[in-house]
Amino acid sequence: MAGIRVENIEKSFGKFKALSGVSLEVRDQEFVVLLGPSGCGKTTLLRIIAGLEQADRGRVWIGEREVSGLPPRSRRVAMVFQNYAVFPHLTVFENIAFGLRMQKAPAEKIKAKVEQAATLMHIENLLGRYPAQLSGGQRQRVAVARALAVEPEVLLMDEPLSNLDALLRLEMRAELKRLLAESRTTTLYVTHDQVEAMSLADRIAVMNAGQIVQYDQPMKVYQEPANTFVGGFIGSPPMNFLRLPVEGQQARLASLVLALPSEVSGAEVLLGVRPEDFEVYTDQRPQSFPAEVLVVEPLGPHLLLTLRFGEQLLKATVPPDFAVRPGQTIWLKPQPGRLRWLEPTSGQALTAR
Amino acid sequence: MKPGWLYMLLAGVLVVWVLLPIFLIAALAFSDRSSVFAWPKGLLPQQFSLETLAFFFGVEGVWKAIRNSLAVAGMTLVFSVLLGAPAGYALARYRFAGADAYRLLILMTRAFPLAILAIPLAVRFLQLGIYDTPFGVALVHTALALPFAVLVTSSLFLGIPKELEEAAWTLGCNRIQAFLRVVLPLALPGLAATAIFAFVISWNEVFAATLLTLRERTLPAFLLASLNDSPLPFRFAGGFFLIVPALVFIFLIRRYLFTLWGIANR
Amino acid sequence: MRSERYIPYVLVLPSVVFLLFLFAWPLLEALLLSVRNSSGWTLEHFQRMAADLYFKDALKYTLLLTLTIVPLQVGLALGMALLLGSIAKGRDLFLYVWTIPLGISDLAAGIVWLAIFTERGYLNSFLQAVGVIQQPQLWLSYETPWMIFLAVVAAEVWRATAIVFVILVAGLQLIPKEYGEAAEVFGATPWQRFWKVTLPLLRPSLQVALILRTILALEVFAVVVALGGRNLPVLAGEAYYWYNAYQNPGVAAAYAVLILGISVAATLLYLRLMRTKQEAVG
Repeated sequence: MAGIRVENIEKSFGKFKALSGVSLEVRDQEFVVLLGPSGCGKTTLLRIIAGLEQADRGRVWIGEREVSGLPPRSRRVAMVFQNYAVFPHLTVFENIAFGLRMQKAPAEKIKAKVEQAATLMHIENLLGRYPAQLSGGQRQRVAVARALAVEPEVLLMDEPLSNLDALLRLEMRAELKRLLAESRTTTLYVTHDQVEAMSLADRIAVMNAGQIVQYDQPMKVYQEPANTFVGGFIGSPPMNFLRLPVEGQQARLASLVLALPSEVSGAEVLLGVRPEDFEVYTDQRPQSFPAEVLVVEPLGPHLLLTLRFGEQLLKATVPPDFAVRPGQTIWLKPQPGRLRWLEPTSGQALTAR
Repeated sequence: MKPGWLYMLLAGVLVVWVLLPIFLIAALAFSDRSSVFAWPKGLLPQQFSLETLAFFFGVEGVWKAIRNSLAVAGMTLVFSVLLGAPAGYALARYRFAGADAYRLLILMTRAFPLAILAIPLAVRFLQLGIYDTPFGVALVHTALALPFAVLVTSSLFLGIPKELEEAAWTLGCNRIQAFLRVVLPLALPGLAATAIFAFVISWNEVFAATLLTLRERTLPAFLLASLNDSPLPFRFAGGFFLIVPALVFIFLIRRYLFTLWGIANR
Repeated sequence: MRSERYIPYVLVLPSVVFLLFLFAWPLLEALLLSVRNSSGWTLEHFQRMAADLYFKDALKYTLLLTLTIVPLQVGLALGMALLLGSIAKGRDLFLYVWTIPLGISDLAAGIVWLAIFTERGYLNSFLQAVGVIQQPQLWLSYETPWMIFLAVVAAEVWRATAIVFVILVAGLQLIPKEYGEAAEVFGATPWQRFWKVTLPLLRPSLQVALILRTILALEVFAVVVALGGRNLPVLAGEAYYWYNAYQNPGVAAAYAVLILGISVAATLLYLRLMRTKQEAVG
């Protein structure tokens, strides 16, 4: 077992800059998710750590060893690919045994390890089959078992669940969480699915345009996004950003006056509030502001409202039995502890205190 | 679906159009001398006989020509796969400057008449001392088969996901081990089809083989050179014998038909 | 890992070297051979070629054969490809049988059709059986070049339609079914669907097939030799006779260059007439 450290990784494909100076540290036994939209460079970073891609600049350590110049086979990593990459010409047993055979492990040891990994993934009854005879979910299990069987120092996973259908994905997600909590293998996991990231990660590194924009625990990333990108990317529907005028150390929201955590240079500031962080009333209440209802969408657990405040649109969720119809004016009370203030031009959060 | 039977009828007519001439030449090859010269002929030979074929194989030089043909086709097969498969792999797996120019070169070779290659090479082979050898003919046939080998193996390797190789690398293989343990077993049937195809190209080629040989004729060259002064039974038996391996090979590689001749990916 | 950049070049190099020696170099050499003699540059070979007794006929028959064979093959292959799409049962079997001629050489095809057109062959037997003739007719003689022509056309259409068929079937497979279905929804008849949807989308494949077949038809040789000897002269045959019988590589090369010239002109013409995205000639 070992941690991962990467320093100032840069990588370009032709004119496209995939990674511009990324540094990241994954602690031993930690589960870190690289989260970001497609094209943000997360898979490239993973492949550079695996040794499948060569960085233009920067260095990679696994444990105490610098592996920057090493080929994949010498890095003691294991990888689970998006399309599983299970060898079609080998049985499940031979697939799982592949890495051990390359290490020239003795036959008894191979048998024991393969059976152990297969049991862990609940595929011990499939060992004699060929991948063509397996379902997508079973192939996925073979791919994970194959990676675990070599007892890698670091496990790298590239969108491993994205090819599964929704129900199976939910099931595998929980299982992966259980499995990796037990085996305590250091894991770096790439996904574009924010729910997956939230559910699995010890820490999430949110990436955008070739950079890590925030690296923190899931709830921190959710509640205290570092900028408008993170707030907008994580959470569904995304965080609301209201542009408000500034008066000294305060911002004005209709008749409400809200204190700012620090001095603002410009005349305006952005208020970030999640849709579920409003208390909503049909009549005027203290500490609230009015908004007109445009659309009401019943989603089951709650209603999703699209509202207009001045020229700005925002979303709010309310309980399913809340009586409201389009055209009506309602009053919103933002919950004081859940407000996030951001600088409007850069989109960066204002550092509190 | 009313016109269904009409389509089947048309398709059946086309089957007859393809198969009937093959049947007729086979009927002649398996009949005796008098039936070959008989007139009028029925659709079926009067009596089954190996006389005509025996006569063909008894002609001096036929066995040698067959041996030469096999040698030339065998060498062509080996050369085209050894030269073509690595290039096909490079085209499938790497983006490199010059890849497009290389593709163009490969495609261009398909657009030139064989005469333009065979005539100067005949002159040059004389000087190099490989005129009238199976090796010399195999070189020209490789030039014919190589473009196919490159394009076919390239689409073959493209069909094998790169991730399989990468997975092998992360599991402890170097590049050569990954190729041998993962890519090669998966590519083997397609490579075999490519090889068979090169063999058929060589087995069938007559123009260059005739121009480049004098005594060491391949079978088609031998047949062509003796065409005008040989009796009909000899020609018919020879024509039939030329077709047989082709029929077998087409059957063997039918799955790869479209990769080999078409422009489809699979 | 840095050395990775060289890997593709190392892999490609052997075939490049090979093609330079056995393709580019002879190509140049053929051009030189046709315009040089022992004393230097000359048009002598081309003049001898043009003055030869067989030249005019060879040129005429080669062009006429090409103009006859290629449209027949493309038309027939297109029909077969569309027919294959309308067949419900046994598609694989038809596909296999129809592509059998792919493996048959031009020489063998010539001999097969010789068995049909020869004096005591199947054609005469058939004509006798239906009462058209009483005695065997001599079809393939120097007195009846047009009959030889017909036999060559039959043999070539029989043998080489399959390659066009395969290219077109492959092309049809690349056309998403949705286009035809969309046209159907908007009320197009099958005939309109063919002309307005299928044919335009099939253009790249048609172009490839036309170019490939035209080049090969211009090289027609063994079929002609098998069926008519030199009674139906063609360009590739003349190149062969000049090299083999007359031992004159210069004039042979001149013929080869002429074939090449016509091939290139035909290719450019197709590319111009059917302007479309560049597609693999395969």
